[in-house]
Amino acid sequence: MKKVITGNQAVAYGVILSRVDVISAYPITPQTTIVEELSELTASGRMKTVFLKVESEHSAMAALIGASTGGVRCFTATSSHGLAYMHEMLHWASGARLPIVLVNVNRAIAPPWNIWSDQSDSLSQRDTGWVQLYCEHNQEVLDTVLQAYRIAESVKLPVMVVLDAYVLSHTSEPVEIPTAEEVDAFLPPYCPEYTIDTQEPMAFSTIATPDHFLEFRYKIQKAMEQVPEIAKKVNDEFRSRFNRGYGAIERYGKEEADILLMTSGTVTGTSRIVVEKLNRKGYDVCGLKIKRFRPFPVEEICKEIKGAKKVAIIDRNLSAGVGGIFAQELRASLYSREKRPQIFGFVSGLGGRDITPELIEEAIQYTVDHPQPEEEILWLGLKK
Amino acid sequence: MTKQFVFKGASQMPMISVSLGHMDWNKTGAWRAQRPFYEDKTSPCSAACPVGNDIVGFIQKITEEDFEGAWNLIREENPFPGVCGRVCFHPCESKCNRREYDEPIAIHALERFVSDFASNLNKKIRKGPGARKNKIAVIGSGPAGMSCAYHLAKLDYDVTVFESSSLAGGMLRTGIPSYRLPKDVLDREISNIAELGVEIRTGIPFGEGLNLDGLKNYQAIFIATGAHRGRDLHVPGGKGRGVFSGLDLLKKINLGRKVTLGDKIAIVGGGNTAIDVARSVVRLGKKATILYRRSKEEMPAFGEEMVEALEEGVKIRYLVNPIRIQQKDSLHRLECLRMELGEKDESGRRKPVPIPGSNFFFEADNVIIAAGEEVELFFLPKGLEKREGIVLTQRDGNTGARGIFAGGDLTSNQRTVAHAIGSGKKVALAIDCYLNGKDSEEALRQILTGEGPSISMFRYLHPQERLMNPHVVTFDELNTDYFEPSRRQRETKDLIKKRIKGFREITSGFTEGIAMEEAERCFSCGTCVGCENCYVFCPDASIIKIGEVLSHQVDYDFCKGCGICFSECPRGVISLKEEAR
Repeated sequence: MKKVITGNQAVAYGVILSRVDVISAYPITPQTTIVEELSELTASGRMKTVFLKVESEHSAMAALIGASTGGVRCFTATSSHGLAYMHEMLHWASGARLPIVLVNVNRAIAPPWNIWSDQSDSLSQRDTGWVQLYCEHNQEVLDTVLQAYRIAESVKLPVMVVLDAYVLSHTSEPVEIPTAEEVDAFLPPYCPEYTIDTQEPMAFSTIATPDHFLEFRYKIQKAMEQVPEIAKKVNDEFRSRFNRGYGAIERYGKEEADILLMTSGTVTGTSRIVVEKLNRKGYDVCGLKIKRFRPFPVEEICKEIKGAKKVAIIDRNLSAGVGGIFAQELRASLYSREKRPQIFGFVSGLGGRDITPELIEEAIQYTVDHPQPEEEILWLGLKK
Repeated sequence: MTKQFVFKGASQMPMISVSLGHMDWNKTGAWRAQRPFYEDKTSPCSAACPVGNDIVGFIQKITEEDFEGAWNLIREENPFPGVCGRVCFHPCESKCNRREYDEPIAIHALERFVSDFASNLNKKIRKGPGARKNKIAVIGSGPAGMSCAYHLAKLDYDVTVFESSSLAGGMLRTGIPSYRLPKDVLDREISNIAELGVEIRTGIPFGEGLNLDGLKNYQAIFIATGAHRGRDLHVPGGKGRGVFSGLDLLKKINLGRKVTLGDKIAIVGGGNTAIDVARSVVRLGKKATILYRRSKEEMPAFGEEMVEALEEGVKIRYLVNPIRIQQKDSLHRLECLRMELGEKDESGRRKPVPIPGSNFFFEADNVIIAAGEEVELFFLPKGLEKREGIVLTQRDGNTGARGIFAGGDLTSNQRTVAHAIGSGKKVALAIDCYLNGKDSEEALRQILTGEGPSISMFRYLHPQERLMNPHVVTFDELNTDYFEPSRRQRETKDLIKKRIKGFREITSGFTEGIAMEEAERCFSCGTCVGCENCYVFCPDASIIKIGEVLSHQVDYDFCKGCGICFSECPRGVISLKEEAR
């Protein structure tokens, strides 16, 4: 069934269809309508879920850590300061290997006060051991929530699904909603490896001395390394069942080009139009959408670079002192490779400023015009 | 020292840091410094109820839609729920902890609801067994006498009630107008008592046709003849023709006798009798003015009834005191003095002081004196100790004479229906102790509700059940985070125009839905209702459910004594004490 729904409603549909057992959340703009919808569905009895009202995001995640340890499927959603407040518990969730799914609606972190789209909130959690998946449109949002549970429960790591504030969260698009039977066939009930049993009490998250701590972290890394393969399998199965799917990355436009434009989130949607237009004008450029940020799809990207001499990458985020975070990851990934194209790291659209087709065109034109970037950070649309 | 276990490598290690076996052996309860335990406590409403009703108990039954269960619980303590639900001054509601949160529970209305529900079912209490033990005589069929007779009958005594009037009920019948207490409600509750095998013999005045000698066959006697004589005003003209006692007038009206009154009635006094008289004469089509010597704040009449009286057109003149009543033809001229309030007197109220030279006249066709009531003592047997107009007894109601007990208005200045019912119940128990050679003082002490004086007949009969700490739960001991603010439900009243047309009851009781809604508001102070907050919040999974929902235990092997159960209990059921080491 097709419905015209917002990105936040798409999240809610994903959560219902995933038959989540426990939801715990604290409201924050622009995420709030997700949990509003879910709380209403729970209260009306349409959804058989325990909905825990808590006093903070820190508690929201802490409650889910308890619930997930109890062996049930869990969900929360947040944004910006809420995600930052969860930080300690994000580490705990991955350290305890709990397959919790969190939806983060990208929003800038204050000050100055700002509620609009900016990836700095989720990207500043990149070292917490969570898988991170960024979405381009509302259909992808719903589908990614379903896939996230499959991935999380396979590798025993938490997954963060990320979407842009307003451009997706509050904008309606037609979305194909799968039936419960279809989703049940794709996503079986969660079978935990360890659960709390009051009849046979175990000590969880006990101290690990220096004799063992390193090995536990090694195991998390190994689990992360499994993600590309498992995510691919999950997506292949999803595609065979639902006739659509999403890779860790996606190339569009020409098969191969001198210039590769890399984007994430909704900027990709705009870039598709720009690349098509410039190809018609004879520009040798193709696009690359990055869906998965963590683990960073190094192998997949290297394969797609092919003969490209320059990569233009647009970051809607800033790690002050370094620049765009996607660019930073890309540079680190390519260092050991033979083919190392010039990287043009653009920073744009912070705090929700539109990244217009004109700006994207300007970025490509700059990349065409310069053999190498004049600066590490290329500010796109900056009013000097 | 346990030996440290070291894995050889990551491949042997579990995915997470988790104990390799279960941890039952590690009795973390040993860390505990304080011990939580379940202990039902006394609710302030029950502690304040002179009758000794288990208020939380019956209200919980209403929430469970078990109205019959509620009725049975009330009847353990009180044979007059229909009466109390209408006319009691409900001290329970004054002490209700919910008062400090939003509005107290409408306990009186819930009690009335249960009684009305039971009457619609035609539900009678079971008869006692045929074989009776001793014969007991009860003198007076008011609330004290009938309450005593009721409890004695339930204790299998052969009880005979002697009543001077032609109808049973005492002050309930003669003193309370039927717009407040319909006669059929009273009749129903009296007949419920008679159904237990209590014989009620009316038209037998004590001290005239009947005296102690005539009661030699009875092993115990309870005298509860009440206080039916209106106090004199002690002013010149205070006993003239057309000047009546309020109690006498009410009695006539309530027994349906003819009364002849003029149009303009002056009522002297400020208590409930004054209000009852005023509202009754309004219903007879007269104009009523109450003259009261103090101000509104000092008025002993119940607030709500004053409001209703004013609504119905009764006028109240404060700080006015008649000093002489002159009669001229059929008209009475009351010479009055204006008063002002002086120092507080022994009742704690400010004393009215006359303003010299403030004399004025108030004219009325009739003057009704409602300045308090007194005990008629002349007919009582000799040898009873009396002081300040009441009969003195021991705490259990014993007069000092063997087998002779007294109670109700006769022995107390707290003259309310509830106090009378409580007094009769206490004497029933004292008579049972007396006839069985038991120490009534000790028995009374064992069954106090809270710190007393109200007592629980249920616990007298079932000493091992519903054990309760006498501690009365305070508002601060509740965790009100778990309660949502809500409005108190109100009984509907007839329109004023309709009210003053006759003596029909003016309030309508709760419907089942409203009653359940109101019952849901009850905090159930000190009584576990199975909310399971303790079970949900315990971080050590140390609350064990036993069988039913309402039964929990603490697993002291693992309880670390954090006290979260204690602080999250909404109703103060869990106690915490220091662990003995």
